[in-house]
Amino acid sequence: MAGRNRGYALYLIPGVLASLLVIVVPLVMTVYVSFTKWTGVGDPRWVGFDNYTRLFGDTLFWQSFGNIGLLVFAMAIIPTLLGLVLAAVLFDYVGKKFGDRWAGLFRSGYYLPQVIPVAVTGIIWSWILHPSYGALNRILEAVGLGGLAKNWLGDPDYALYSVMLVMIWFQIGYPVVMFMSGLSRIDPSLYEAADLDGATWWQRFRKITVHMIRPEFYVVLITTTIAALKIFGQVFVLTKGGPSNSTLVPSYFAYKNFFEKAQVGYGSAISTVLTVLIVALAFLFLRLQHRSEELR
Amino acid sequence: MLRSRSGLAAGALLLAATLGLTACSSDDTSTEGADAKSLTLWHYEGPNSAMGIAWNKAIELFKASHPGVEVKFEEKGFEQIQQNAQMILNSDSAPDILEYNKGNATAGLLSKQGLLTDLSDEFTKRGWDKKLSSSLQTTAKYDEDGIMGNGKVFGVPNYGEFVTVYYNKKMFDQYKLAVPTSFDEFTKVMDTFVQNKVTPLAVGGAEYPAQQIFYELALSKSDRAFVNDYQLYTNKVDFKGPQFTYGAQTFADWVSKGYISKDSAGIKAEDMGVSFTQGKFPILISGSWWYGRFASEIKDFEWGTFLFPGNTLHPGSSGNLWVVPEKSKAKALAYDFIDITMQPEVQALLGNSGGVPVAADPAAITDPKNKELVETFNKISTADGLAFYPDWPAPGYYDVLVAGTQGLINGSKTPDAFLDEIAKPYNENLSDLGK
Repeated sequence: MAGRNRGYALYLIPGVLASLLVIVVPLVMTVYVSFTKWTGVGDPRWVGFDNYTRLFGDTLFWQSFGNIGLLVFAMAIIPTLLGLVLAAVLFDYVGKKFGDRWAGLFRSGYYLPQVIPVAVTGIIWSWILHPSYGALNRILEAVGLGGLAKNWLGDPDYALYSVMLVMIWFQIGYPVVMFMSGLSRIDPSLYEAADLDGATWWQRFRKITVHMIRPEFYVVLITTTIAALKIFGQVFVLTKGGPSNSTLVPSYFAYKNFFEKAQVGYGSAISTVLTVLIVALAFLFLRLQHRSEELR
Repeated sequence: MLRSRSGLAAGALLLAATLGLTACSSDDTSTEGADAKSLTLWHYEGPNSAMGIAWNKAIELFKASHPGVEVKFEEKGFEQIQQNAQMILNSDSAPDILEYNKGNATAGLLSKQGLLTDLSDEFTKRGWDKKLSSSLQTTAKYDEDGIMGNGKVFGVPNYGEFVTVYYNKKMFDQYKLAVPTSFDEFTKVMDTFVQNKVTPLAVGGAEYPAQQIFYELALSKSDRAFVNDYQLYTNKVDFKGPQFTYGAQTFADWVSKGYISKDSAGIKAEDMGVSFTQGKFPILISGSWWYGRFASEIKDFEWGTFLFPGNTLHPGSSGNLWVVPEKSKAKALAYDFIDITMQPEVQALLGNSGGVPVAADPAAITDPKNKELVETFNKISTADGLAFYPDWPAPGYYDVLVAGTQGLINGSKTPDAFLDEIAKPYNENLSDLGK
């Protein structure tokens, strides 16, 4: 059998070569460079674990990982839970009561932030959150809540929460689309049977919807978590890691070391730690998914 | 196992290939590439800026004097070149000539890495040394550690820049205020605005403007020796000394007095400039690079400039540099182009377009406002009053100062903590240089 399949190996060559060039070689190089002191030009000088020793003693590094923890909450957990509820409402209520076109319209609306370029959404949000002429503060003042107006992106006490809010808005469409496509493959007779048995909407949601779209749930959770760990563009456009590093994230921290400080070895160490973390989390999620499928 | 080994081998091979440094040629390069049929030129000045206008003219003149040579001009972004220059200049995609940022952290770093051509011979042979004052030559020369001020010439500036105070005459008249001539008068002016519920200073805390105000304040207690210590590492700098302590403390006081809005921590330079243009703030402390733009965009009120009162030293320097990459295939043509940018015709055009030329005949500058700007720059330059910029001493220091001044603006850092924060990377860079 294995011998008969050997001929198919030829078809794998382009993919393997592309993976080698785009993933494996750069990864190996990054790991190697992380053990050197290098400005990006000239000969790297081997320094062993110096970059890692420095990294684990760097308060900015820990601060960036603390921030990423909150961003995982904003980009993975909240959108996944909200997306699940929204998808169920659109599919099971809006779609049935008002027609699929309305459900599709809402779905597209939620998904729109995913399609608009990051730079554009970043600039729009920086206008909305501008302390003096931003729409948010103007609205708060207009409804008599001027006391709640804040310097959303310029105050270290609020900047990260503001970025989190933007990221929830940005991410919400992805789980909605994924879960709605998952819901469409559930046998309608299950819902009909539940209706006949007198199940409430909440019971149907808990016992059928959540249970049946578990595979999508895992996919969404893993992809959004990885996206949160890698977040760069929105932070770059909205705050550049500021004010006073309060919104610093690992990828932007690595970028600063690579391109602004010419500390390529140190930047590679940050990237390597981030890669290890992402791979470990992906592995953990896949194991959990595999186990849950086995239980089913 | 085998597969991972081959991956490693492939990685090592590719790494070896990418790390190969070309040997720096020390041959005479004055005629190198003279017979090239094209000149690839990069710069990042907008087509309507003074530099953009002048350099487009220079390209025109170059084409006229070099028939048969194609000029391949590629407009880039400042950030694009700032962050990728060393990778590009280390590849075969390097242009023949480009505009590049000046200072230890930028041009100095590239010169140290052997990525830039030594222009010392051309500098004297073509008389550029006569056209540039000694303080303007500081940013052109770099030693073997990439520290500016001495050593070989690696770049040629052809315009200047400095930080000044822009003010809205209409708002000054409204509160019957005169242009301040001393630091005390300046604070009285700002007090008057605060008393009338007007925030005096337009500030961009998310980018360079805030740190330039801090530096301007520190310079009010400094002399040339201190600037040389800080910028050229002549002697060790005491960050808790009178200069920076005064700068940080006074900056924090200005925030608490309401001269600088707490909201400005997240404001970008562009927003700051626009707010001044819209007449929302009476004063803006920033660079001469705003001058041409304000001249063309401010229609609703009269405005003017004055130097930071009481200071003899001001943030400022030569403008960005023309550099010739070591891998340039048309070095001789690149020198010719630089020479054209130094010609009186191009320099006068630069001055009349709102820029600060370094080698123009003052009589050729016809616009009175531009004339005033050029005269002010020349006054500072000849008095050795250009103190460079606060973020120059170390790679990545710009971000350190942005984060630090943001902390002062929003009150999350005391002046003392701010000084500790900015001292650390500065001193780390010194130890990296073995100083």
